[in-house]
Amino acid sequence: MRRGLLWVGALLLLGGCASSRPIDEIQIIQQMGYDFENGRYTGTAVYPTFKQGPMTKPNMLTTTSPTIYDLIPRLSSKSALPVEEGQLRLILFGKEFARRGVTQITHSLARNNKVGSHLLLGVAEGRAKELLNITANTTLSDTLYLPNLVEQNEQSMNLPKTNLHLFLYRYFSPGSDPFLPYFEKKGDFVKLEGVALFRDDRYVGHVSLRDSFLMKILLGETKNGVYQLKVGNRGKQGEDRVMLQNLWAKPKYEWKRNGSRHVLDVFVHIHASVRDYPSWLDQSDQDLFADVKKKMQNELEHNMRRLFRYFQKKRIDPLGIGDFVRSVTRHWDSDAFYREYPDLDIRPHVTVDIVHTGIGE
Amino acid sequence: MKQAIQERFLISPFLVFFVIHATQVGVGALNFQRPLMKEAGQDAWMAVLMAGLAAHVLIWLMYRLLSHSPSGGDLVSLHEQYFGRWIGGVLSFGLLLYYALAALTVLQAYIEIIKVWVFPLIGAWQFSLMFLLLTYYAVLGGFRVVAGLCVWGVVIPLATIFPMLFFPLEYAQYRNFLPMFDHSFGQLIKAAKHMALQYLGFEMLLMYYPFLKQAPSSQKWAHAANAFTIFIYLVVIFISIVFYNKEQVAHMTWPTLTLAKIPEVPFIERMEYIVISIYVLVVFPIITVSVWAATRVIKQLFAVQQRRSLPVLLACLFVGTLFFQEKTDIERLTEWTAKAGFYLVAVYVPLLYVYVWTAEKVKKALQQKP
Repeated sequence: MRRGLLWVGALLLLGGCASSRPIDEIQIIQQMGYDFENGRYTGTAVYPTFKQGPMTKPNMLTTTSPTIYDLIPRLSSKSALPVEEGQLRLILFGKEFARRGVTQITHSLARNNKVGSHLLLGVAEGRAKELLNITANTTLSDTLYLPNLVEQNEQSMNLPKTNLHLFLYRYFSPGSDPFLPYFEKKGDFVKLEGVALFRDDRYVGHVSLRDSFLMKILLGETKNGVYQLKVGNRGKQGEDRVMLQNLWAKPKYEWKRNGSRHVLDVFVHIHASVRDYPSWLDQSDQDLFADVKKKMQNELEHNMRRLFRYFQKKRIDPLGIGDFVRSVTRHWDSDAFYREYPDLDIRPHVTVDIVHTGIGE
Repeated sequence: MKQAIQERFLISPFLVFFVIHATQVGVGALNFQRPLMKEAGQDAWMAVLMAGLAAHVLIWLMYRLLSHSPSGGDLVSLHEQYFGRWIGGVLSFGLLLYYALAALTVLQAYIEIIKVWVFPLIGAWQFSLMFLLLTYYAVLGGFRVVAGLCVWGVVIPLATIFPMLFFPLEYAQYRNFLPMFDHSFGQLIKAAKHMALQYLGFEMLLMYYPFLKQAPSSQKWAHAANAFTIFIYLVVIFISIVFYNKEQVAHMTWPTLTLAKIPEVPFIERMEYIVISIYVLVVFPIITVSVWAATRVIKQLFAVQQRRSLPVLLACLFVGTLFFQEKTDIERLTEWTAKAGFYLVAVYVPLLYVYVWTAEKVKKALQQKP
């Protein structure tokens, strides 16, 4: 009897603690967009509405406010169900918004225990609202079009890995700057255009998807990515290009002192497969092939140098060179390093190994 | 004055491993990286090692001290023997306060985590009431039950939480370890002092020592437990160093819980909630052991049965949790307890050992004279 009473008491006590939120009684935001226009901030939330079975329809909520923090509470005032941000997959910043700095959002995300570290961030050319609108309209049942697009490209193509954790890591690190995927509106579609670069928390420019291949390799992500190279001068389009697929690549940095200046040597070894090559390039002709390989290496080096110069000119360090130098310098001084950074002599050295050229010759 | 404890209340020597390890690793393991990496950056792991070795020495010292104690075998009877009823009593009362404070701190820190991460609206009293009722039930079972709890408090988290720590290595930046030895010895010592608090917990040994079968032979298990604690902390700090950078850690309240945001399985997207739930099993043994130790002090000191003093103590703890609601208060409480524990273990015990040792020497010399 006494034991039974105890059980009942425990059940009552424990039952009182539950704060359950059934899925059909909340509004799950999956994507969020932030814009800045005419002195006001605009927040756009994309949430799925569940129809019969697995069919979901993306819906949108938009609100504007003079400050950032009350965007989500203001969204609530337009929604019949409580807004939940625990399932956020992607946050898209409009270019204007990103130019003014994204710290307010990222700091609040870093403190928010509800969102995961895998949350993706991105920058939209133009307005985030417009892009989210397009994806909501063109995709019938997929609310996760943009997050899937990013993940797919990170896993198998040129985009270097990004997410909230990596953004914060690079943002807080004194030796690197963050970057995010960059989207553009192309007609009725959203297209991944490359990588948006930040100085601290402000958007300062972007590089193309082609250059992001080089970034991916230089960041030390070893696999995947394709790169088209020009190896001849036969004039006709497509007749002098080679399509390189990265199978395995490893960068190696070396920091040296040369007189009063420092030199950074970057050795990159790419194991690649040539997916497509022009018909005149016959693999059995060793001399010609070696010559083409040489050309590839030169062009890769040239493009890397161009990329480094672009970063140096913008005074940004998305590759974490500062972080590398810190790891080989005692009592590293970040201010002194970044004073020297724009005139730093960075020398890329590329070696390409062609592992195979597919199953035919 | 006191007879030896009956054998059916004793525990096997090897169980000391679980009791010591369970009481050492607590809520501190969730956020010890912050002060450590602030002082010593990428060399923080050296501080972990240094503090751990210091803990080894202190454990050795404690065993030496307790094996001196002839009758009861715990610190209270030692106090009485060497300082007499009154001064010894005051010292033992201080010990009682410390044990109670330790229990309160751990409970409070865990409630704070629950409030921040899982149930923001929960009142502190709801959780602490349930928890203290559970503690009442466990401590009533005696020291053997408490030791049994410690076994599960080590085994289950080890099987569930520990493997999760390795998922973040996906983002590891191994260059974060370099350059090694970039911090001065002074900085390392400062960091090690912060770290020393994370090894606290073995001071409960001062009370449960007489409950060990062939107590002196359990010493190797106590050292093994401490070595294992060093290992766990080293793994956590290694992973934190390669996963975070110094500035990032400074912005996190519980870096270890944020590590748990990385593993993802299809049916549970957010592992940190699982970690927090399982962490009850880490926290619970600490509270039961310290509450048990506190009631044991009361029994030795005032000859009040543990069954009688337990509800009073738990009521005090319950009232205590109602007082500390704000984050800054909780932080101050933790700081006090840490300081008290540090001085108890690192200053008081060695001094006491020196005192006891000289007293014995003098006594022997006096006995030989006539």
